[in-house]
Amino acid sequence: MSSSSTPEPAPLIDVAEIEEAEQAVGAQSERALGVRQAGGRGRGSGWITLAWGLPGFVWLGFFLVAPLVFIVLISFWTRTDTGFDSGHWTLHNYGVLLHPFDLSNAYWSNMLRSFETSVIAVAACLVFGFPVAYFLAMKVKKLQYQIALFILALAPFWTSFTTRSVAWTYPLMGTYGALNRLLVYIGISSFTHPLLDTQFSLLSVRLAMIQLYILFMVTPIFFLLAQVDRHAIEAARDLGGNWWRTFREVILPQTMPGIVIGSIFIFVLTMGEYGTVSVIGQSNVSSVGTYIQNQIQGIQYPQGAASAVLLVVALILGVFVITRLANLREEI
Amino acid sequence: MAAVAPEVERTQDVVIKRKVKRQHDWAKWGLGAYFVIFLIFLYAPMILMAILSFQGYYGGVTFPFKGPVGLDWWRSIFESQVGNIFTNADLIRSSGEGSLWLSLAAGGVVAVFAFTLSMAFRRRFRGDGIAFYLIILAMMAPGFLLGLGTQLFWKYMGVQTSLWHTALGANSVWGIPFGFLVMLAIWNRYDDHIDEAARDLGAGAIRTFGEVTLPLIWTGIFGALLFGFTLTWNDYDRTVLLVIGDPTLPLRIVGLIQESALRPDLYALGTATTAVSLALIAVLLIVLVIRSRLRRAPVQRVEEELGLGEGIDTEAAETVVKE
Repeated sequence: MSSSSTPEPAPLIDVAEIEEAEQAVGAQSERALGVRQAGGRGRGSGWITLAWGLPGFVWLGFFLVAPLVFIVLISFWTRTDTGFDSGHWTLHNYGVLLHPFDLSNAYWSNMLRSFETSVIAVAACLVFGFPVAYFLAMKVKKLQYQIALFILALAPFWTSFTTRSVAWTYPLMGTYGALNRLLVYIGISSFTHPLLDTQFSLLSVRLAMIQLYILFMVTPIFFLLAQVDRHAIEAARDLGGNWWRTFREVILPQTMPGIVIGSIFIFVLTMGEYGTVSVIGQSNVSSVGTYIQNQIQGIQYPQGAASAVLLVVALILGVFVITRLANLREEI
Repeated sequence: MAAVAPEVERTQDVVIKRKVKRQHDWAKWGLGAYFVIFLIFLYAPMILMAILSFQGYYGGVTFPFKGPVGLDWWRSIFESQVGNIFTNADLIRSSGEGSLWLSLAAGGVVAVFAFTLSMAFRRRFRGDGIAFYLIILAMMAPGFLLGLGTQLFWKYMGVQTSLWHTALGANSVWGIPFGFLVMLAIWNRYDDHIDEAARDLGAGAIRTFGEVTLPLIWTGIFGALLFGFTLTWNDYDRTVLLVIGDPTLPLRIVGLIQESALRPDLYALGTATTAVSLALIAVLLIVLVIRSRLRRAPVQRVEEELGLGEGIDTEAAETVVKE
């Protein structure tokens, strides 16, 4: 039974290979016949799909769709002292947000700050994350080492963002934190005039964002780089392309989807971030998230909901722009 | 999370490898050094925190390390009085228990729905594109906004937010897309002919599922459960608006920081929760290794029972591959 107990003979049957072959042939014939994967299993298959899908989608409906739709509804309702009045529809909540459409409006200055944070996070994660993915996918030849190192890099994703924020803020940052102590030891900083007085600061928040989210960029790029055909790279070299040209014309286009996915993830997650900002920045740093949280705490539900809706609109615009930029890059 | 990597052991690659290696050795070592710096950047804060949690009685929240090295601060997250310091052990214990049960429940919910939804997606159906994006939306929606919407919606429906209702819902919704993608990856590699073979041999639907399908996909379901567990165990943004009374562990940590002076006991607690998460990855990896060892056994059994075990000639299989 188990292949480990008996010495493996010349591969009479390679099950994996046969499976692959079957799948390949199956896929081909299905494509040729226009049959979809496992689609035509006869009568009643629609009901079976419905039965499998319904519970999950009902759950998502109650805890994903309904809450998001409700935020939109509530943003058009009137505020009362205890919450909101669903009887009175109004555009007042948006009017307050949009009226002074400049940075004197606390909402827009927070939006701009969060947007800057997100753009910095996306750019920094790309610049610092790409070499990591490149090293893992291209320079580590042995599969076992590749997987081991990748998991080592991925492991922090599974640990608490809150704990990592605490670990970032208190032992490391600040005048007496490890970082400034190191700088003092080197001799380029002091305790009276610290070079990096970074505890509870915007800089600290932004640095931590890179540390917390960079794996969202490394992972998709790594998966795509690992699939890049080595022969194409060799061919490009043989045809006289130097390193940069090979990179730009062979490797980069194939990793573009990964860069786009990573950018979208980091942009959306950092822009809507609340916990990290409130732990690392305490009350010194505000973002759209903390702004909305303040409104909720002040029982300004409709106002907070309107702020949230505009944030989502901004996020959708941002995602749209990121996908467009990627397309442009491919066309050039 | 098994990495899909290309085969590098083929002969044509080996020839190429030598040529490139001589030219670009420096790039490999440079990038390797960079990778080490990257790991330090990722792990340094956690390691510093862990080191500081082993300080003695006078230990502070920053360096220098104040000895003697001891487990006092670690004891203080379990015992309500250490020496003459009153600790937060009771609060931490109740939060820890609440967090644990909530995470387990969310893991179960995620595993169930990731499985059922992925079963629905094994066949094409009308609107499956939109349905797929709906699931991905659960991954992309900012957690804080989802928490806000959940709170307002259920309050409006006349239900008070609580750990077991809204927090469970919001957290499992965050885990479902991750578990779902894991299950899709499993089904992608799954050979439907195995099910057919079992049915041809006379097994009913339930027996086919229990004896053939489940042994091949259980690691995926387990992975979905782990995703649900860790994401909930670590969550702050989604839960912060949804819990009244006993908060979850991440909320408790933040609450303790904001309410009282920070002490190294929180470092011990943070290190402990991190260790729990890392231990779970280790469990997952061990399961994956076991799976890759066992993976072929059930398949072979079906092949053998079909009488295919001996009779397939590799030549025929190879010609099929070439086609």
